[in-house]
Amino acid sequence: MLRRQSRKRDINVKQGTLRIGLAILAALALAVGLAACGSSNNKNSGTSSSAAGASTSASSTPAGQPGTGKPAVTLGDKNFTEQFILGQLYRQALEAKGYAVRLKDNIGSTEIADKALRSGQIDLYPEYIGIFNTAVAGDTKAYGTVQQAYAAGRAYAERHGFTLLPLTPFTDVDALAVKPAYAQKNNLTSVADLAKIRGLRLGAPPEFRKRETGLVGLARVYGIRDVSFSPLTIGLQYQALDSGKIDTADVFTTDGQLQGGRYTVLRDPKNVFGFQNVTPVVSSRVLTAEGPEFQATIDAVSQKLTTEAMQRMNAAVAIDKQSPAAVARSYLQANGLL
Amino acid sequence: MSGVLLAPLAAAPVIPDFGRGSTCIRDNKLFCWDWVQSNWGGTLRPALIQHIELTLIAVVVGFAISFVLALAAYRWSRLEPPVGIVAGILYTIPSLALFQLLVPVTGLSRTSAEIALVSYTILILFSNILEGLRNVPADVRDAAEGMGLTRWQTLWRVELPMALPTIVAGLRIAVVTVVSLATVAVFIVNEGLGAPIYAGLQNAFKTELIAAGALTVALALFADGALVLLQRVLTPWARTARS
Repeated sequence: MLRRQSRKRDINVKQGTLRIGLAILAALALAVGLAACGSSNNKNSGTSSSAAGASTSASSTPAGQPGTGKPAVTLGDKNFTEQFILGQLYRQALEAKGYAVRLKDNIGSTEIADKALRSGQIDLYPEYIGIFNTAVAGDTKAYGTVQQAYAAGRAYAERHGFTLLPLTPFTDVDALAVKPAYAQKNNLTSVADLAKIRGLRLGAPPEFRKRETGLVGLARVYGIRDVSFSPLTIGLQYQALDSGKIDTADVFTTDGQLQGGRYTVLRDPKNVFGFQNVTPVVSSRVLTAEGPEFQATIDAVSQKLTTEAMQRMNAAVAIDKQSPAAVARSYLQANGLL
Repeated sequence: MSGVLLAPLAAAPVIPDFGRGSTCIRDNKLFCWDWVQSNWGGTLRPALIQHIELTLIAVVVGFAISFVLALAAYRWSRLEPPVGIVAGILYTIPSLALFQLLVPVTGLSRTSAEIALVSYTILILFSNILEGLRNVPADVRDAAEGMGLTRWQTLWRVELPMALPTIVAGLRIAVVTVVSLATVAVFIVNEGLGAPIYAGLQNAFKTELIAAGALTVALALFADGALVLLQRVLTPWARTARS
């Protein structure tokens, strides 16, 4: 911007010294201003951002911690509740071991997170194995077991400079949910039953339209084609269902809202939605640079994430409106990871 | 790295009690004061502080650049059209687009946000500083010259003080603009009051959005009022003249 201005001035002004002086002054003003900016970017909790501040400055990091002196890593998370919690879980566990972590919260869908990872804007983010295979690797094969899906994803990741770290025990699969009354009226138990409904009003995040674990797979496998699609922000689909704006919504099986029987989740007998255990996707270069303790720290967190634990944490954030940072902190503390 | 999957757990993890929200919170009522109280220190106050930082940096840097450019354009009037055109073009770029355009250059960083915010202040501040200086009556300038003041002395002791009301008027517009635009910066850095506003937009629970929106408005009004007071303090002669 500044360069463009000074080039403009080149054409119009002959007084060279003034021109240079101005450019230097302007650049200085900008540099001074920007140097004053901090780099903390945490929206969730004052206490955890002050903790971040402490651990990113090398001097206050306790000596002898595995993360001491290691380069700072940038951790991303995607655009919904469970991801905010995962981001906080991995971040706080890593910081407790002395690693310097910058958290880029709420960066967007997989498509955007993947771009950020490939361009080096982030070094790692938690991803769901089935989404990784279909949306990142473009692999639409139906795998019989989660191990096969994971092996395929790992092979792809390795060819592209990434490593998929071990999976969490919990799986968070997409599912189609309806109101119980609607299920009864139309005699619905499985996703396959939706094929007979004309003009099915389906609400889901925008990327659902083009995904194999979305409309593409639903049409190919179940023959569900007569769909009127409403793109919705993740988290708002329950409201749309309640208000009757849509007939069925794409939900996640670990959503806290699904507890208590207010919604009926349709079975997916042909497994269109695949296996969706979480694997942290990390740049292989960064993984090497951070050393083995880095992965061990992440794995120790992943290992503790069961479906029930994840559902309870999601409910605490989505329903009880606790901050993801606070929920993650109490979970890590309860399990000896802080 | 051994096996593909994690080993089965020896013991189930401990799930602590995360605490329950009030009925208002659990039922997603439009506005829950208890949420604001319990999230003031953790979410809203840090966001407000970040917002003030984002605004202050943008306005201070923007003012420094505009001040230098305006003084130069006042002295050499040929400078005005090119600076005006560039600042005008920057001003017309939609904020959301400008933030995104900067991402490949300066990354998802506060720097990107500040460059965009600074660029929006320049047109306002540059034109107001220049206009203020030009509106100084010629006879006042002549009188200063007649008293033997140098050009530099005239500028600092006569012209700039007389231009102050116009300059502060520009600052007021710039500050209010930046306070509101800084919420859009959330698309590149999750900082400032834009963060709770954005989080509220993605959620069925609107208290966060309403509280952060109200804080943004309050901050703009407060900053505007503070600048009015500042101008009164800096231009005591204006008050004397009126009374």
